[in-house]
Amino acid sequence: MAVRLFHRMAARSAPAVFVCIGPRMQALVEGLFARAQSRRMESPAGAAILLVAGDIPRRAAVALDRIHDQIPPPRETVHWDGCDDPMTELLAAWARLMAGESGEPDRLPDDPPNPWKGHGDHGQGGEGMMGGVPYGRPMAMTGEDPRDGLKLDAYTMRVGPFAPMLPPGLVLELTLQGDLIASARVTEAPFPQPEDANAPRACAARLLRLLGLGPQADRLLRGTAPRSLNAVRALPVGLGAAGTGGDARTRLRGWLEGKPAEGPPPDIPRLLEGREWHEAVVLLNSWPPDTIRQAAEAAR
Amino acid sequence: MSHLVTVAAIAAFAFAVSAALARPLPATAPQAAPFFGGGSAETHAWQRYHFRAYTMTLVFIAFEMEMMFMYPWAVVFVAEGGKAMAEMGMFLGILAIGLLYGWREGVFRWQ
Repeated sequence: MAVRLFHRMAARSAPAVFVCIGPRMQALVEGLFARAQSRRMESPAGAAILLVAGDIPRRAAVALDRIHDQIPPPRETVHWDGCDDPMTELLAAWARLMAGESGEPDRLPDDPPNPWKGHGDHGQGGEGMMGGVPYGRPMAMTGEDPRDGLKLDAYTMRVGPFAPMLPPGLVLELTLQGDLIASARVTEAPFPQPEDANAPRACAARLLRLLGLGPQADRLLRGTAPRSLNAVRALPVGLGAAGTGGDARTRLRGWLEGKPAEGPPPDIPRLLEGREWHEAVVLLNSWPPDTIRQAAEAAR
Repeated sequence: MSHLVTVAAIAAFAFAVSAALARPLPATAPQAAPFFGGGSAETHAWQRYHFRAYTMTLVFIAFEMEMMFMYPWAVVFVAEGGKAMAEMGMFLGILAIGLLYGWREGVFRWQ
């Protein structure tokens, strides 16, 4: 009895959605979550529904499957082509999940990327902290630290194409030491997006959301004029200064005043190297997606 | 005593029942991997990195211990008066010299 009451109450809450944005869908998805009663989660761990917006190109198919499997079961997938309103489908999927349906099975095999093999009776490891392949991944080895010369472990990973803080489609191969980006390489450029994703309002809302000012970003996307420009103080002066275009703060102020950003596309690897991760993410969002796309095409 | 045992038994039973009911499903290989927006990592996440807040943490612990000395001192202070005041002043003075030294060495600079 009580359990059923809990199910009914859970079904009335806003659906927790992780969204994978394909070509030509960025502005539509952002508008949807600014208006609709649904929560856009920042990682699949908190979501129950995978919203696939647009046609995902073949090169991103494995990434999509990986994200699908990273949503803890029970889970469901909803496809959206941008024509009708997906809310009815999202709510129906949410109601099914909350009623206790088992959802979709995994798409990828339940195998580690490499066999977990090493020294020891059970193949448990190597020598000391080095060597061994725990969970199918080798241990990180030391590399030169560009900041203070300490030899720390270098961690190489590919982020994207559906990282919620990066332009959809962008894949970066980063070598991190702690939170410091030691080297960066553009593997794939962002998906093409129509002009509405580059509108000053949309760009400002994206950057504000990243700075933790979600309600302000929603108001901007719903068409309310910004009440004040105080939000630009969340960005330090001089971050991302690039030639004639000014720094990130200048670009955000311009967007809030309704002016499109100007200036040449940045050199992405040089822009990111030596930065901390949070700086890198703010920087990549301080240019319109189209400019980042040109920069990524040039750097690939 | 018997009440305590009863409460402990009830708590243990409740924990056991809730653990049995809310047992999470075992994580599959994709779920055990870190989330990189669809990307993957080449190495295991266990790594040595520079913990940049280390010196600040040590200074914090030092001053926290100083506060612990001040609690018994506050009790004695009522009876002792000016003498206790002078003693605590010397103690804080020595600590302040250490603080100034650390400042000069740049341990409070985020690096």
